[in-house]
Amino acid sequence: MATNTFSRVVASPDEDAAALLKAFQGWGTDEQAVIAILAHRDATQRKQILLKYEQMYSESLTQRLQSELSGDFERAMYHWMLDPVERQAVMANAATKCIQEEYPVIIEIACANSSAELIEVKKAYHVLYKSSLEEDVAARTTGNLRIACLLQLLLALVSTYRYDGDDVNMGLANSEAKIAHEAVSNGTTDQGELIRIVGTRSKAQLNATFSCFKDEHSTSITKALPHGTDPTGYLRALRVSVRCLADANKYFAKVLRNAMRDSGTDEDSLTRVVVMHAEKDMKGIRSAFQRRSTVSLEEAIAKETSGDYRSFLIALLGS
Amino acid sequence: MPQQVPAQASSHSSPPATPQPPPPRLRQATRKQQEKDTQHREREPAAPPPPLAMAAADENEDLIRAFAGMGGLGVDEAAQVSAMGRWRMQPERRAQFRRSFHGFFFSASGGASAGIERCEDEYLRHLEGEFARLKDAAVLWAMHPWERDARWAHHALHHGGAPAGVALVEVACTRAADDLLGARRAYQALHHRSLEENVAYLHKDPAAALLVGLVTAYRYEGERVSEELAAEEAKALAAAVVKASPAAKLVQNEQVVRILATRSKPQLRATFKIYKDLHGKPLEDDFAGEPCLQGAVKCLDSPPKYFAEVIGRAFRDDADRQAKAALTRVVVSRADVDMEEIKDAYAKQHGAKLVDAVASNTHGHYKDALLAMIGR
Repeated sequence: MATNTFSRVVASPDEDAAALLKAFQGWGTDEQAVIAILAHRDATQRKQILLKYEQMYSESLTQRLQSELSGDFERAMYHWMLDPVERQAVMANAATKCIQEEYPVIIEIACANSSAELIEVKKAYHVLYKSSLEEDVAARTTGNLRIACLLQLLLALVSTYRYDGDDVNMGLANSEAKIAHEAVSNGTTDQGELIRIVGTRSKAQLNATFSCFKDEHSTSITKALPHGTDPTGYLRALRVSVRCLADANKYFAKVLRNAMRDSGTDEDSLTRVVVMHAEKDMKGIRSAFQRRSTVSLEEAIAKETSGDYRSFLIALLGS
Repeated sequence: MPQQVPAQASSHSSPPATPQPPPPRLRQATRKQQEKDTQHREREPAAPPPPLAMAAADENEDLIRAFAGMGGLGVDEAAQVSAMGRWRMQPERRAQFRRSFHGFFFSASGGASAGIERCEDEYLRHLEGEFARLKDAAVLWAMHPWERDARWAHHALHHGGAPAGVALVEVACTRAADDLLGARRAYQALHHRSLEENVAYLHKDPAAALLVGLVTAYRYEGERVSEELAAEEAKALAAAVVKASPAAKLVQNEQVVRILATRSKPQLRATFKIYKDLHGKPLEDDFAGEPCLQGAVKCLDSPPKYFAEVIGRAFRDDADRQAKAALTRVVVSRADVDMEEIKDAYAKQHGAKLVDAVASNTHGHYKDALLAMIGR
C-alpha cells in the first residue's frame, strides 16, 4: 500500500514489513523503496520492523538485506539496522581484529561517547562477544612490544569512566599542561604521565589543560606533537584522542573531509561516521563541516559517491 | 568519668575513623600486671586474702576487660553500666578500680596531679576508637554498598598507611563488575573526580599501573572460559615471574597487569589452576613480596579465602589499627554476599568456627552486631 514514506507520518511496522517484502520481490530489489522506509525510522521503529518481518515472513530481515543488497550500500545498511549501542560494539570488535590500522575507530568510540554511553557499549560487547572490550584490546600486546605505547593509550581510553561534570581545577590544569609539554617534547619515550592524564581526566578538565597548554606555548597540543611518520601509530592515536575529547564535532567533520578528499573516497570512514552519528549529533557535525569547507556536507557526499549508497547517505543526513 | 571522653570523635562520615591504638605495651602491661599480681598472691600462701578482696579483684578485672583493657575489640557497654549501678555512692570502690587498671590510669608521684589517678591520653584515644566500632559498623551497614566502597576507596587513597593499595585491590577485585562500576559512580558523586584519576595521580609508586587497571576493569561476567587461552596466559605469567628483578619489578610487568586487569574471573581462575598444576605451587606464592599483586591474585581467585585471612589477622595480638578496622569492613560488606563461604574458609584456615572466634575476641554491642551480621 502506498505508505507515503516521504511525509513524516510514520507507518506501522506491519506496513513497513509488507512494503519491504514487496521491494525485495521480483528480479532486482527496489533499493529506493528500502531506503525510503529504513532510512527514515529511528532505532525503536527499526527494531519493531525487524521483529515484525521475522514474525510475518519467517526469515531474518538482516539476512535478506545482506543477500539482496551489495557493496558499500549493503555494509552501510547492515550497520544501520543494528541497535545503536550494539553497532558501536560491533565496530569496536571489528577494529580490535586489525588494531594497528583501525585504532581510530576504538578511540572514537571511547572518547566521543559520554561515560554512561561507553558503559552501555561495553555491556553490549559482553553479551555479543562473551569477553570484555578491554580484554580484546589488551590482548594484542602479546609479543608485540613495539606498539606497547599505543596499546597502553587505547586500554586507558577504553577502560575509563570519566567524571561527567563541569568541575575544573585550574591549578591542576596548569601543572598537567606542564607535564604534557614535557611528554610531548620527549618524543615517544616515557609517555606514562601523558597517557594517564588523557586517559583519566574528565573532558572539562582536559579542555582546561589544553587551553593552559596553548596559553603557555602558543601552539595547540596537537600541533606540538612531532609530525614525523611514527610506525607504531602512537602519535597519531594521541592526536586523534586529543581532538576527539576536545571537540568531537570538529573531529568528525575532519574525518569526513579527509574521507572525501583526493581522488579515492574512503567509504568505510564515511559510512562509519554517518551511520554512527545520524541518530545522535549529525547536526553538529554538519555545521562543523560547513564551517571549514565551501560546500555543504550533502553536496560533498553527492559529488564523491554514487548510486544507492549515495541516496542512502543523503537520506540519513536528511533525518 | 571515662564517659567524659572528649567528644572530638571524628564525626565526619569517612569510615572508620579510629584513633591510635594503644601501643601494645599497654595491653601487655595490663596482662603482665595481672599475672604478676596473681603470682604475687600465690607466693604468699600464708594468708589467703579475704574473700571480699578476691571478689573485688575479680570485679576489677571484669571491668578492665569491659573497657577493652585486656585485648579484644569493642567495649562491653552492659558491664560498664552495671558497674555504675553497683558502685553507686562508692567513690572508694572506683578509686580501687582506677588503681588496678594500670594501662589506663597512672598515679603521678609528685607535681600537680599527685594524689589522683590520671588518665593516659593515648588510652583515651584508644577508647574513642573502641567505642566507635559499633557506630562504624551500624553506619556502614545502613549505607548503600556503592557509597560504602567509594568511601573506603577514598579513605585508602588519602589516609591509608603503606598498604593503601591493598585496600583498593580488595574493593576492585572482590566486587561484581556492575558493583564496581556503581562504586566508581558514587565516587564521582562524592568527590567530583573519577576514582581512576585520583588513583593514577596519587599513586606514583610502581603499583600505579596495576591499581588503575584493576579499578577501571569492567570484566565479562559470564562463565565462558577458553582453556587454551588459560594455558597461554599461565605460561606468560610464569615467564614474567622468571624475568622479575628488583629493577624490573613484577608489578610493573605489562603482561601481568594486562592479564589480571582485563580477563574475566572464571578465566583467571582457570589460568591460576593451570599455573598451579604446572609449577606445583600457587601463583600467589610466586608473587610474595608484592603485596598488591598477591592481594589481587587472592581476591580474584577466591574472595572467601582472602577475607577469612583478613579476619584472622584482626584477631591476632599484634593486629594494628588497619587490621582491626578490616574486621568491620569485611563483615559489613560480605554479610549479604558470601558469609557462609567465609565461615567455611575460616574454619579450614584456623580450625575454629568464625562465630566462636568473634564471640571470644570482641565485646559488648559490637560483638552482638557482628554476630548478628554473620549469622549462626
